[in-house]
Amino acid sequence: MTGSTARVDHIAPSRRLLRSSALLATLALSGCDGRQSVLAPGGADARVLGDLFWVMLGGAIILWLLVNGLFFYVTRINRAALSRRFANGLIIVGGVIFPTVILGALLAYGLSIMPDQRAPGDGLTLRVTGEQWWWRVEYWPEGAEAPIISANEIRLPAGQRSEIILDAGRVIHSFWIPALGGKMDMFPGRETRMSLHPEAPGHWRGQCAEFCGASHALMAFEVVAMAPDDFALWLAAQEAPAAPPADPAGIRGAEVFTREGCGACHTVRGPEGRDSQPRGAVGPDLTHVGSRLSLGAGTLGTTLEDFETWIAHTGAIKPEVEMPAYDHLSAGDLSDLAQYLKGLE
Amino acid sequence: MRRDPPPQSDPDRREFREEAESLWRINLAPATWAAHFVTSYAIAAVVCAKAPALLPHARLALLLATGLALAVILWLGWRAWRQWDYRTTGDYTNALGEAEDRHQFLGHAAVLLALISAIGVVYGTLPVLLLESCR
Repeated sequence: MTGSTARVDHIAPSRRLLRSSALLATLALSGCDGRQSVLAPGGADARVLGDLFWVMLGGAIILWLLVNGLFFYVTRINRAALSRRFANGLIIVGGVIFPTVILGALLAYGLSIMPDQRAPGDGLTLRVTGEQWWWRVEYWPEGAEAPIISANEIRLPAGQRSEIILDAGRVIHSFWIPALGGKMDMFPGRETRMSLHPEAPGHWRGQCAEFCGASHALMAFEVVAMAPDDFALWLAAQEAPAAPPADPAGIRGAEVFTREGCGACHTVRGPEGRDSQPRGAVGPDLTHVGSRLSLGAGTLGTTLEDFETWIAHTGAIKPEVEMPAYDHLSAGDLSDLAQYLKGLE
Repeated sequence: MRRDPPPQSDPDRREFREEAESLWRINLAPATWAAHFVTSYAIAAVVCAKAPALLPHARLALLLATGLALAVILWLGWRAWRQWDYRTTGDYTNALGEAEDRHQFLGHAAVLLALISAIGVVYGTLPVLLLESCR
C-alpha cells in the first residue's frame, strides 16, 4: 500500500466525498475552456450557438426556480386549499398561455438564427471527406480548376466565411469544430455542406462526432485560422510540390519510403510530371506532412519520435487502422524514414 | 327461450347518433392542423428542391392556407364551446355520468383540442414568416 492511499484512509468519508466532488467539478469545468469547447467560441456561428445555449440555460434556471418555488409554496408555506378560481387561473395562465408564449419566442429566436448557420461562403471552398479514421481535405480557391490536396488539418482564412462540402468514404462520420460552429454529418455518396467564419486567427481542435468504428475517438484534426495574407502564403506552399530534405538521413529515408512501397497508399507530389513515387490515394497525402501539427489525425504530435512511433506501431496507437505497422524496419531505417517525412515541409 | 331485447326508443337513437357525430367532430381541429402541417412541409420541400424562384408565391399560398386553417379551427372551437355550455351550466368538469354531462364533456375536450391545434398552426407558420429563403 502506498503512503498516499494510507493517508486517504484516515480522511473522514465526508471530506473524501468533498475532495472527489471538487476533483470532478474541476475536471468538468476544464472542459469548458480551451481548444475544443462550444463555450469558448472563436467563430461567428459558434458565438450564435453559444448565445443560444446561455439563453436556454438562463431560461431553464428561471423556470426551474418558478416551478419548484411554487411547489415549495403550496407544500410548505401555504398548505391551505387554493380557491377553485385561482387554481383554474393558474392552469390557464401558467399551463397554457405562459408556455405558449415562451416556446413561441424561443421558436422565433431559433428560426431567426438558422439562416446564419447556412450562409454561403465568401470564395474559398473546402471539400472534406471522412475516411476510417482520417480526413481527406481539398482546398478549392475561387475559380480553381484543380484542388490543393491535404489531410487531417483544416486551415481557414480569418475574418472570412469559407464554404465546406462534406462527404464520406465508407461509413457515416460527423464534422465538428466546436469552437467555430455546429456539427454536420458526412454520408457516403451524399454531399452535405456547411460554412464557417473564424473571427480572428486562432488554433482549435475538431473531432469526428458520429461513431464510425474502432478508432472513432481518435479521429480528430487540428484547426488553424490565419490572417488572409498568411493563409494565401500557406496555401501557395501547400500547392507546391514536395521539397524533400537534402541531408543524408533524409535521402536515405526517401529510399526506404520507395522500397517499402509507401507510395502505393500515400502521395508525395513531385515536381509537375516528374513524380518519383506512385500517387497512392488510399491514405493521407504526405506531400507536406512535415508542416502539419499532428500525426494519425490528431492522435500524436510531430516530433521525430512521434513519426517513428506511428510508423512502427500504427495498430497499437489506432485500433483497426488500415495502415500496417512497419515494426520490421531496422532502427536506422525507421529513423531515416522519420527524418524524410518530417523534412517534407 | 330468450326474449329479444326491447327495441331502442327514437330519442335514444337520436342521442347516440349525435354523440357519435361529436366524437368525429373533436378530431376535426387536430386533423386541420395535421393537414396544414403536411401541406406546409410538402410545399416548402418541393419548391425549395425544384423551383426556388417560386418561393415568394409559395409563402403567400402557405399564409393563405394558415388563414383558412385558423378560420376552420376557430369555427370548430366556437361550436365546441357552445356544446360545452360552460357559461350557462357553470359545470367545468362535467363529473356526473349523465348523458348531458357526456355531451358537454365532448365539447370541453373539443375546445381544448381546437386551442392546441390553433397554437400548432401558428407555430407551423412561424418559419414561413421568419425564414425568407430556402436556407
